[in-house]
Amino acid sequence: MPTIVLSGIAKRYGGGDHAVKNLDLVVPDGAFMCLLGPSGCGKTTTLRMIAGLEQPTTGSITVGDRVLDSVEKGLYVPPEKRGMGLVFQSYALWPHLSVRANVEFGLRMRKVPAPERRSRAEAALEMVHVSDAMDRYPSQLSGGQQQRVALARMLAVDPAVLLLDEPLSNLDARLRLEMRAELKRIHEESGATIVFVTHDQLEALTMATHVAVMNQGELQQLAPPMEMYARPANRFVAEFVGSPAMALVDVGPAPAGLGRSLLAHSRERHGAGGPAAFGIRPEALRLGTPPPGAWSEPATVEAVLPAGASWTVRLRVLDTELFAVTHSPVEAAPGDTVTCWTDQLHLFGADGLRIQDRDTAEARA
Amino acid sequence: MLYRLRVLRHDPTAALGFILVVVLAYMVVAPLVAVLSDAFRLQYGDQAHAGQQPGEWTGYYLWRVFRSQVSDLLFWEPLLNTLVISLGTVVFALVVGGGMAWMVTRTNVPGRTWLAGALVVPYMLPSWTFSLAWLTLFKNDRAGGQAGVLQAQGIATPDWLAYGPLPIVITLGLHYYPFVFLLVGNALRRIDAQLEDSARILGAPRRVVIRRIVAPLMLPALSSAVLLVVGRVLGTFGTPYVLGLPADYRVLSTGLYQSIRDRSTGVASVLTAVIVLIGVLIVLTDARLLREHRRFVTVGGKGAMDRLSDLRGWRWPAFALGGVVFVASVLVPILTLLLSSLTRTPMDLSTFTLSYWFAESLPGAVGFPHGVFRGAELWTAAWNSLRIVGIASLICAVAGLLIGYVVVRGSAPRVAAFLRQVSFLPYLIPGIAFAAASLSLFAVARGPVPALYGTTFLLILVMAVTHLPYSSRSGIAAMTQLGREPEEAAQIAGASWWQRMRRIVFPIQKGALVTGIVLPFISGLKELSIVIMLTTTGTELLTTLSIGLVDYGYTQLANAVVLVIALVSFTMTYLTQRLTKSSLASGLGG
Repeated sequence: MPTIVLSGIAKRYGGGDHAVKNLDLVVPDGAFMCLLGPSGCGKTTTLRMIAGLEQPTTGSITVGDRVLDSVEKGLYVPPEKRGMGLVFQSYALWPHLSVRANVEFGLRMRKVPAPERRSRAEAALEMVHVSDAMDRYPSQLSGGQQQRVALARMLAVDPAVLLLDEPLSNLDARLRLEMRAELKRIHEESGATIVFVTHDQLEALTMATHVAVMNQGELQQLAPPMEMYARPANRFVAEFVGSPAMALVDVGPAPAGLGRSLLAHSRERHGAGGPAAFGIRPEALRLGTPPPGAWSEPATVEAVLPAGASWTVRLRVLDTELFAVTHSPVEAAPGDTVTCWTDQLHLFGADGLRIQDRDTAEARA
Repeated sequence: MLYRLRVLRHDPTAALGFILVVVLAYMVVAPLVAVLSDAFRLQYGDQAHAGQQPGEWTGYYLWRVFRSQVSDLLFWEPLLNTLVISLGTVVFALVVGGGMAWMVTRTNVPGRTWLAGALVVPYMLPSWTFSLAWLTLFKNDRAGGQAGVLQAQGIATPDWLAYGPLPIVITLGLHYYPFVFLLVGNALRRIDAQLEDSARILGAPRRVVIRRIVAPLMLPALSSAVLLVVGRVLGTFGTPYVLGLPADYRVLSTGLYQSIRDRSTGVASVLTAVIVLIGVLIVLTDARLLREHRRFVTVGGKGAMDRLSDLRGWRWPAFALGGVVFVASVLVPILTLLLSSLTRTPMDLSTFTLSYWFAESLPGAVGFPHGVFRGAELWTAAWNSLRIVGIASLICAVAGLLIGYVVVRGSAPRVAAFLRQVSFLPYLIPGIAFAAASLSLFAVARGPVPALYGTTFLLILVMAVTHLPYSSRSGIAAMTQLGREPEEAAQIAGASWWQRMRRIVFPIQKGALVTGIVLPFISGLKELSIVIMLTTTGTELLTTLSIGLVDYGYTQLANAVVLVIALVSFTMTYLTQRLTKSSLASGLGG
């Protein structure tokens, strides 16, 4: 199974802005790599370049020991010769072909004899549980079924590299959950290298073995999902990954309020200096008696929002609004004064990059 | 660089785009350039008059057309006549078409569905059907050939009734009122009755509602209909030829035809340029007005169409009025043509005969000495029509789809813009002017391209190009709707370009391809203005055959041939509408 290597990849459209800027990315053999980012960050362009549907302006792409693109050496392999699988966001099923013919198409192109074609198509449809729709046409299928057929069409040719472009975004919440488990299973069964594009961080965190966060055409961080969550490399990743988003408190040149309190806490432990901004995840902000060494401040409860399994509390701490998410019932009512504390502070320097942990809970873990 | 070349080698879209650009530039832009250059270069044979050598730049033709002592005859009079006829036809079409549209969409006249269909039929007939019927009824002894029905009854028809502006306006009006009927009818249907209700609730009386609310909302449809009719009348040839020429009543299109027949190429080129200019101005004005009116696009709500004016006691008289329009614009012309082709003395049933259709020999008719179904002429012409129009439509449809493909898939925005605009250019140009322009490019050998005048090839080319705007528009629409993903999916699956085209793109676009063939085919079959200058004895089409018979004065035979065309084109239009559920209105491009 192949490793995908993108080196020095840049893409500009018609002399305008860069869609992708100088991207170096290694997708290890057998990885389930999620390209995560807001819309317009260049993730779909990157995927399409791997597929060969777009051509980089500079750089090279290799899969295993095969050079697919090299602008410098003038090497290019067209998409039809790359032998990859791609599932489009719109599924792009061919309306004039039956489900079976859709799935068999790739095998037909590879000149697989009819009986084998038939059995492999059936096996692929079996795998995604739509064997009963075999002789229907795409327009007669539900959205979920179409999505599965698109997946089967890709799986039937048994490609070593699977590319998925937001394949779950057109499904309803329940189906999406189901398909996530399904994709994870398919990844484990096939052992293929998967590159998956999404703007939904939950998708990325639940399925991927590696997550690459992109913004404005640049790679922000490449890490396993939980690592990405626990140690965001910069302010963008910190705010983008995690829901509700991490609160970032800028200290500023004349520290006041919450910033001053956090800075004082930090200086007390590490001496002079200190970061330019602190990050607090809502899940890490607790109510009640603080343990020794934790930062804490009194806070006013502004609203309590129960959501079944969890409670979100809107707090006002030193004139700054903070959210806390907890999984145990909240007794406080709006207007009450409580103590909030955390022992997991994220520190960011003036350049926006993470300051490596010195003593927080994550560092001890 | 090497990388770009490698990529291009694997992607024929770029090459295809390049080929299309070259072909379109040659087929659409080059004729216009050629005709302009002909207008300013001295032609052979005019040296003595102009005092210059052939090929030199000259203002002689401009002078001759606009300022000389013959310019009244060559240009100003035809221009005035064209304006008079356009104006008359527009008024006629507005009154009849607009009135009928209001009656059918906004009143409770009985038989509304039937009227809505029946009143469109005149547009399915070739436009000069009406003029032949008119001649059959009102012709006097001014021109040769058989006298009209009234004349035969001993009632002398004055010239102003038999020829000239009045009959031209009436017959063109009868052909073009469906335009207004469809466009205005659609607009009326889309106006939300709630808009009117709101005004009435605020205390506006009915008159005021019509003046202040309905009329302004109708303005875009009305202006579009008016300009469309003017544009068509400008380029129409058959009717002014049949009804105008015997009385020396010339319009721009027939004047252009005569200059070409007289081989005054320079003058013809200037006239062509003028017609092109007027045509372009009309369409640009229309586009501009539409843009200005876009701010009042009304979104049809639920309340639309649920309120009809109650005509009370006038319901049946109103229906009768609609019936009269149908009878006058469809039944009378068709029956006149049919009966006249079946009688020796027109419409006198005691002289009933089938010989004009079937006789092996017709005494007296030297140029066409047998019934229309006998001998080879009709069949050859029909075969030519089918073959030439069929191939042209096929080319048109395929080219339209390929243009759509390159516009949607191609990575060069400038190529896409060029293809989009140039393929639409012939829409701005009246057909007769475009044919004249093509003639000035292809009549003589230029470089490696031999002289094409008189060849089937030229007819096919010109016919395909003039119908290209419709098919390229629909091709671009179809390809945009399809998007690039289905093809990319096939590419990823390992299909080469040919396989993608053959197995994915064209099969999916089958429907678009069929309509792309059928619509140009129907309109091409009744086309006269474009082909009249390009056909020669070997390449006679049904339409030119019938005009030839008119020239000979063989009324019955000409009528019989026109009847055949009318029947074929009506049947095909009707069937297509039934099969594809498309409506004529959408094909009007209004």
